[in-house]
Amino acid sequence: MTQRLQDIAASSIASWIPVAILAALPFIVGGSWTFTLGLCFANSIGVLAVSFLVRYGGEVSIGHTFFTALGAYAVGVLDTRFGVSLWASVPLALLLGVSLGIAFAWPSRNLHGIYLAVTTLALALAVPEMINNLDWITGGYEGLYVSTPLVPGVEMGLQRYYLGLAMLVAVAAAVARFRLSRQGMTLLLAKTHPAAADAFGTRRVWARIAVMGISGGIGALCGATLAFSGSTVSPGGFTFWQAIFLLVGSVVSFYGLSLVRVLIGGAFVTLVPQLLSASGAWIPVFYGLSLLGMILLGHYLPRIQKTLARRKGGA
Amino acid sequence: MTFWDTLLYDLFPLIWSGMITGCLYALGALGLVMIFKCSKVVNFSHGNVAGLTAFLVYGLSSGVLLSLSWGAAVIVALLCAVAIAFLIYAIISPLVFESDLTSTIATLGFGLIAQGVTLLLFGADIVALDLPIPRFAFSVFGLLVTGYDLTVLAVAVVTIGALFIVIDYTKLGIAFRAISENPFAAEVCGLNLRSVHLFAWVTAAILGVIGALLIVPTTFLSVTTVATFMLQAFAAAVIGGFASLPGSLVGGILIGVLMNLFTFYVSPEFSSTFLLGIILLALNIFPNGVLQRVGGSRV
Repeated sequence: MTQRLQDIAASSIASWIPVAILAALPFIVGGSWTFTLGLCFANSIGVLAVSFLVRYGGEVSIGHTFFTALGAYAVGVLDTRFGVSLWASVPLALLLGVSLGIAFAWPSRNLHGIYLAVTTLALALAVPEMINNLDWITGGYEGLYVSTPLVPGVEMGLQRYYLGLAMLVAVAAAVARFRLSRQGMTLLLAKTHPAAADAFGTRRVWARIAVMGISGGIGALCGATLAFSGSTVSPGGFTFWQAIFLLVGSVVSFYGLSLVRVLIGGAFVTLVPQLLSASGAWIPVFYGLSLLGMILLGHYLPRIQKTLARRKGGA
Repeated sequence: MTFWDTLLYDLFPLIWSGMITGCLYALGALGLVMIFKCSKVVNFSHGNVAGLTAFLVYGLSSGVLLSLSWGAAVIVALLCAVAIAFLIYAIISPLVFESDLTSTIATLGFGLIAQGVTLLLFGADIVALDLPIPRFAFSVFGLLVTGYDLTVLAVAVVTIGALFIVIDYTKLGIAFRAISENPFAAEVCGLNLRSVHLFAWVTAAILGVIGALLIVPTTFLSVTTVATFMLQAFAAAVIGGFASLPGSLVGGILIGVLMNLFTFYVSPEFSSTFLLGIILLALNIFPNGVLQRVGGSRV
């Protein structure tokens, strides 16, 4: 056990290296890349939210745009309507995400596997409709523009970049800490051995609600970062497809929770549409193919490795 | 206008047209449930693949790809749907026996590909695709019944009837039920799981094409039309318990009527939110489907 804890500690130190590299990047690359990378960090948090649900709850969500929209509009509305900066709106976004995650988890507490997946699908579909019909507060199709700086006097582009990075690092570090905590262990136990967890006093329903609440909170933080780093909040960012793309990002990173893994997932979600923007029809094809490719890779790779190992052993 | 007049002029037509659309939702839901019953996979590509085949019918009959007659175009599209179902199942079949959730996510990938292919072949434009049916309308007790309504009803009754006969009385149907009940025991008895799974996938694809062709005349055909339609089918399947064929029939009609009433009396803008509410409510009150409480039996 101590060996495992040491491994985790070592891997967290190892993940500081990419953080250092990312922190230096704005001084090397151009402004448009700084902007894209900011979005990349935000989407990585979204991928982390989906992966967290898979890892700790064993459930798949196709509806996390609900939570990202929540966080993004919390920031957007507070900023444009009341001029409140991120210092106040991020905690509010987190609070909203956690409480609505719990609010969604309660009626769906007894659903598992595909039943929950279909329910989250319905959740994702309801999001654009809600945003457009609450246009007196959300701005409808036009969306909102987030412009209040976090730290006055610093160039806005850099603020957008570093906030994204800081949020991502903070969330990834918190999740890594959570893995070592008593609560984290309890949730993992409830997922892998529900009967044992029950005997220790962790009820399945409680575990589900807790996981959904945390995942919803992370999702809302993703939305808040997306709103600030991306500077605009509009319904186009929270479509049903976006929800699927977050899941694709999570699959592509093999449901990883570490900083590097979620960065890969987030980069995938952000960069593919940008690179293929000239030929829009190829985007779903490419996403579909990579989703299938990663799933089949995850299926066949262990088998191929085993065969290779057996051959090596035999020779 | 008195209460009874309103009832007569609004409510009955709404229920009638809801039932007609509900039959189509049921066709979609039956396909989803057939696949789920035997292989425990939810086919998220159902709507997009059916949409692609509807576009194929349009493309083959309108001159965009070829100018065949409507009937020939439908046959070619059906063959394509069957071929696609074969292909999808062939690729995910190794996953099916390992994890139903993984294979379900894999079907999302196929849905994305089908959507992309539709965009690549036909673009994002909206097209009209009509059915070659006689146009007439008559009224019964103040209820306007059109040729389209009767066509949908007839096709749905024939298709669903044929499906239930196959499942109830043929060897293939018995094998399907056996595998849905207990795959391990069925395999021990010498049944081939894969061929029965394939039967379910192919049947579902055909049901999807029929449903798509029948729903398109009420609106128009775009990349998302059929996929959106299939989402109601998902709700219908969920209400029916996702593992019950008669349940999905009831669920489909229920969803059709409820959605119609909601959009007319409450608000057309919150229909997806309403659908979410129905799903959550149904799953909490009837976790195993609406028919489980009543009869306790399933086909």
